[in-house]
Amino acid sequence: MNRRFQIGDRVTVKNATTMFHTRTQAFTRGKSGVIVEHRPDWVIPEDEAWGRDTPERGGRDEPFYVVRFKQKDLWPNYTGFDVDTLETEVAQRWLEPAKEDQQEGTP
Amino acid sequence: MSQTHEHDHEAHAPIQSASQISEFEVLEMAVRELAIEKGLFSAEDHRRFSEWAESIGPSGGSKLVARAWVDPAFKERLLADGTEACKEVGIDWLDPTGTGTPSDYTYFYVLENTPQVHNVIVCTLCSCYPRPVLGMSPDWYRTPHYRRRLVRWPREVLAEFGLHLGPDVEVRVHDSNQKSRFMVMPMRPEGTEGWTEEQLAAIVTRDTMIGVALPKADWTATSSPSAG
Amino acid sequence: MTSAPYRVLLEALDPERRRGDGLPDLERTPDPWESRMQATCECLSWRGTLDNLDRRLAEDALGETTYHDFPVHARSVVVTAHELLDRGAITEKELEARIAAVRARLTRD
Repeated sequence: MNRRFQIGDRVTVKNATTMFHTRTQAFTRGKSGVIVEHRPDWVIPEDEAWGRDTPERGGRDEPFYVVRFKQKDLWPNYTGFDVDTLETEVAQRWLEPAKEDQQEGTP
Repeated sequence: MSQTHEHDHEAHAPIQSASQISEFEVLEMAVRELAIEKGLFSAEDHRRFSEWAESIGPSGGSKLVARAWVDPAFKERLLADGTEACKEVGIDWLDPTGTGTPSDYTYFYVLENTPQVHNVIVCTLCSCYPRPVLGMSPDWYRTPHYRRRLVRWPREVLAEFGLHLGPDVEVRVHDSNQKSRFMVMPMRPEGTEGWTEEQLAAIVTRDTMIGVALPKADWTATSSPSAG
Repeated sequence: MTSAPYRVLLEALDPERRRGDGLPDLERTPDPWESRMQATCECLSWRGTLDNLDRRLAEDALGETTYHDFPVHARSVVVTAHELLDRGAITEKELEARIAAVRARLTRD
């Protein structure tokens, strides 16, 4: 799959509902951050959990990214400082370009 | 009932009184023996994994940090490809199966602390931890108490460990929710000029490589400098 | 994952030593049986009986509720046993019998 996002791009984590086996944390849904690194193509956790842990077994490979969020964007009333951040890895399917007028997600 | 023979050290262990053996130890043995008898895994499987589990510990990580402090070229290699650089200190992320363990994967990244950035690691999902370089995770690392709170209130949690950082230092929390495993490379403290790698490794404790503590020139990880 | 506790597992808890809240003892050194238990967990995952992530999620869920009084370092063994019982991989009778046999073997003069 082609890399959709480049380092420095601002992205938003989709608010998709999911019932099973995702590793995309609830607290990142609807939040915006910046791509800081590329990770390898990995089988998405949603397939891995069902035993489709390699492409030969039907697992879908996808680019992963490290996304860095400002903590004050993640948590209402964040009690630390403005400089503080949180980084986590997200599969490409969970990301979309950040909208300039993106509303902050619900807490 | 036949006693399992795959652990020679157990067969020759001194007999202990009942009060010295915890019920959990008894439960561990019972579960393992039943699992092997029922073919859930083999004695050889367990031997391989328990030898691996006994071989890992924070001294691996300490060596990586100490070497990076004294050898800039190694530091560059370590930051560029953590998994590969580990081999230089005898740590192979492919152990013990040849493809790694089911928990640890093989994507290892070292996070360098700077005066502007302090890194700290957590896994909110399930307590992933870089076991090949740090050994087994501490109890507190695995509790929801740490995991839920570190992402939301990192400075408060660090303060509980006695670590306070100013408003100009970015506290960067790494939530290892996918295949990557992380370890923090703390900054080399003042007062360690001219130290050997061994002396430096002794002050790089497990907690400094998780990110909840800073190495101190006047403190050592173990009471005996020759201990692992 | 069932949430009711198994009596055979509750019997492993020393009533004098209930777990408090807050961070567990920061300086406790693990006992050798704990790394043997981690090896068991890896084997069960590797050979397909009990996936590590499922087990870890069960440790969180059961450890904070059903087996709340157990020390954190015992979660892996207690919850793994619980999951194996749930899945019918072992039975309560088998486990009780084996616990008794192991205890007898270890304390024999």
